Amino acid sequence: MIFTVAVHSPPYASSANHHALQFCRTAIDAGHGIARVFFYHEGVYTALNSQVPPQDEGDIVLQWQQLAADHNLELAVCIANALKRGVLSADEQKRYERAAATLAEPFQLVGLGQLIDAIASSDRYIEFPA
Amino acid sequence: MKKILCVVSRPPYQGSHDLELIEAAMVGAVFEMQVSVLFRGDGVWALHAGQNAAPLQQRTLSHVLSALPTYDVKRLYVCAEGMTERGLAQEDLCIDATPLSMAEQQALMSDQQAVLGAQT
Repeated sequence: MIFTVAVHSPPYASSANHHALQFCRTAIDAGHGIARVFFYHEGVYTALNSQVPPQDEGDIVLQWQQLAADHNLELAVCIANALKRGVLSADEQKRYERAAATLAEPFQLVGLGQLIDAIASSDRYIEFPA
Repeated sequence: MKKILCVVSRPPYQGSHDLELIEAAMVGAVFEMQVSVLFRGDGVWALHAGQNAAPLQQRTLSHVLSALPTYDVKRLYVCAEGMTERGLAQEDLCIDATPLSMAEQQALMSDQQAVLGAQT
């Protein structure tokens, strides 16, 4: 089965972001596919590259990065929601003349159409609210 | 054609949630999905005609909602019970939305391929 996974919760605010991560991991291990993980609303904060969690806590961003690298998973971040909240790729940082690029790799800033496109090619859509 | 439903159940202006959900509905329609929007719970306040978000320095949601039909989002529904609980009548709403009973909302949701914003 192919899933589209939407993450609306920022990391650390609730367990929802971590649940989304676990869901993706489990679905992939069980042989399912993930069309795309789409970060929306406050979920875009997941892609912030400046997060430094304490050493004795799990690093959610690092875990998303590892999952993406291991399974060629696409981590898509709504560009409109991201810009508003200061999550900027190098291109957007230059365009808006801000001090730093803040988008972690391999997250990509994309349009909302990428969410709709993923839903169109999936069997199930699952959302992890804030 | 895939059917998607956006459920607006949070009060407007508590964060950008409602506005961003409406934007998803518009983009869904642009990408040729059959889009429905259901307002329920405190989300029914988003339909109230007498809004002005200028003092909050935000976009007035009723203005954004009135653009939905131009985006070909014409399936607009509102929870009948939610309106009654809040003392809202059809003439208080900024756009035409069809009132639905709980059972009708359940049927609407079961008929979708994806429901956005289902949980608050």
